[in-house]
Amino acid sequence: MFSKSIPRFIPVLAAMLAWTAYGQSLNHKIDLPKDSPVGLLSADFGNSNVIARGGANQIEVNASLSLRNSSQKRIRSMTLMVYAQDGAAGGKGSVAVPTLDAAPGETFSIGIKTLLVRPLASGTPAVEVKLDGILFDDLSFYGPDTLHSQRTMTVWELEAQRDRKYFKNLLETAGAEALGKEMLASLARQGDRSRMGVQMVRGRATNVEADRELQFASLDIPESPIELSNGLARVSGNEARAPRFDIRNRSNRTVQHLEIGWLVKGQQGREFQAASVPGDVKLAPNQSGQMTQDATLRFDRPLAIESMSAFVASVEFADGTQWVPSRSAINQPRLRQVVEPSPEEQHLSQIYNKKGLQALIAELKKF
Amino acid sequence: MTRHTAETDLALYASGDLPVWRKLATAWHVRGCEECRRLVETFRLDRDGLHDAADRLPDDIDWDQLSAEMTANIHVGLAAGECVTPRAPKIETLAWWRPAAAAAGILVLVAGAWWLNVPRSDTETIGRALRDMFTGQRGSVAQTAPQEDRGPMVGASSAGIELVENGGRMKIEQSGLQPVMYSVSTQGSASTRWVDEDTAQVTITAVYVQ
Repeated sequence: MFSKSIPRFIPVLAAMLAWTAYGQSLNHKIDLPKDSPVGLLSADFGNSNVIARGGANQIEVNASLSLRNSSQKRIRSMTLMVYAQDGAAGGKGSVAVPTLDAAPGETFSIGIKTLLVRPLASGTPAVEVKLDGILFDDLSFYGPDTLHSQRTMTVWELEAQRDRKYFKNLLETAGAEALGKEMLASLARQGDRSRMGVQMVRGRATNVEADRELQFASLDIPESPIELSNGLARVSGNEARAPRFDIRNRSNRTVQHLEIGWLVKGQQGREFQAASVPGDVKLAPNQSGQMTQDATLRFDRPLAIESMSAFVASVEFADGTQWVPSRSAINQPRLRQVVEPSPEEQHLSQIYNKKGLQALIAELKKF
Repeated sequence: MTRHTAETDLALYASGDLPVWRKLATAWHVRGCEECRRLVETFRLDRDGLHDAADRLPDDIDWDQLSAEMTANIHVGLAAGECVTPRAPKIETLAWWRPAAAAAGILVLVAGAWWLNVPRSDTETIGRALRDMFTGQRGSVAQTAPQEDRGPMVGASSAGIELVENGGRMKIEQSGLQPVMYSVSTQGSASTRWVDEDTAQVTITAVYVQ
């Protein structure tokens, strides 16, 4: 009985197994508002599919959108939101292009490659791509701003304007050779920068080891509207949690949001930017306050944290305008080695790397 | 040595029931073979005799009854034969390959189901736990994974960015590109930056806790 019936079931079970591994097609929706400054020319979701994996659907989105700037202004950056339409909680994703610079009427494409794992649900899985925001060259913004893209994209644009101005000035005052040297130095810093896989857990990721309090060294930028006077975090093993900073508004305007860069140095002596600590605050001129975050930073490799530093990366005032560190501030030797270059600096250095100095000079002359 | 035609073919030939080609071949053989010719003649005589006997049977014979009686007699004869013949004990031989094939099939099935359904991280954790159990070491699982996480998790590494929340997982990567930068934020987001080598276009992808 056993020997005759079991082998007969095996092909049936194997067929069922193969069916679970078979990819289904994916339903998708692209949601651009009627008055959107970009028009959708085509959307190719060709390689997207859904594969059942145990109690979950693995949704692979491989899409390429072709869009056109239908507004009268240059689009400097754009953010699209990507999420699963199953109604279950589980987060959102975004794809942004900070160095777009699309002129009125110009067409451009944006690629989306996302993997979503969702609990199995009835019906065909679907993914929605939605416009979250568009930033124009005059810093005006369009979009629902669900992901606070306006703030992020404005910082990118201010950094782009700062860096373009710096490189153009270098070209005019010191010549093409100096610009080339600066680009080589930038590429060297980008290649030399330490990186480590990091995870952030809301609340505390419990670790059996006892923790200790470690103070942040403040990398003060004199021109910053916010002064960082004191900072602490609890450290255990390769985790650091609950960062807390004492801050003071030394500008004459009310501050409503700021972002602090969190630098970590291991016992091997390598220092790197591990995380950013954004926070909404309401600080009137000369007012002091405290910024705390209930979060745990964890490294994906063993790291004995030796010291931590912090600097003010950006500040948003109550009127919506933003401050970013000047080029001379981030050119301080200490910050220069650890602060990540702006998307624009990476864009320009890649043009230099791939196409040469003349292509870079032509790019800088565009705007 | 002469090869004779089979008796069944000769009987069918005698009654004219052979197909054309076999009928011609048999006729050719019978013409030259005295022995087969005699058999064919005997079959013809028997057939004629049966026809004559059938003509002499009474008209009221119940053929169904007769058939049933004959069948019953055959069964009785067979049963009697079973009773008097000593039976050799029947040995159930189990072919060795059947359980082996069944076991191999089940093994392949379980391995396939595991590969399809169990996340790789879980497999690695179980593997480490089993290894620790057999080697007597302790703690390697605890060193690599926290005992308990209270909230959603975002992660960023050279492989891309990932969000794990409420049983759902979202991962964003860029095909064929290595990120030039990745970072996490304490407000629950992870982002990574990619540069297209040809167009120098920078793309920033991010995941956000709800």
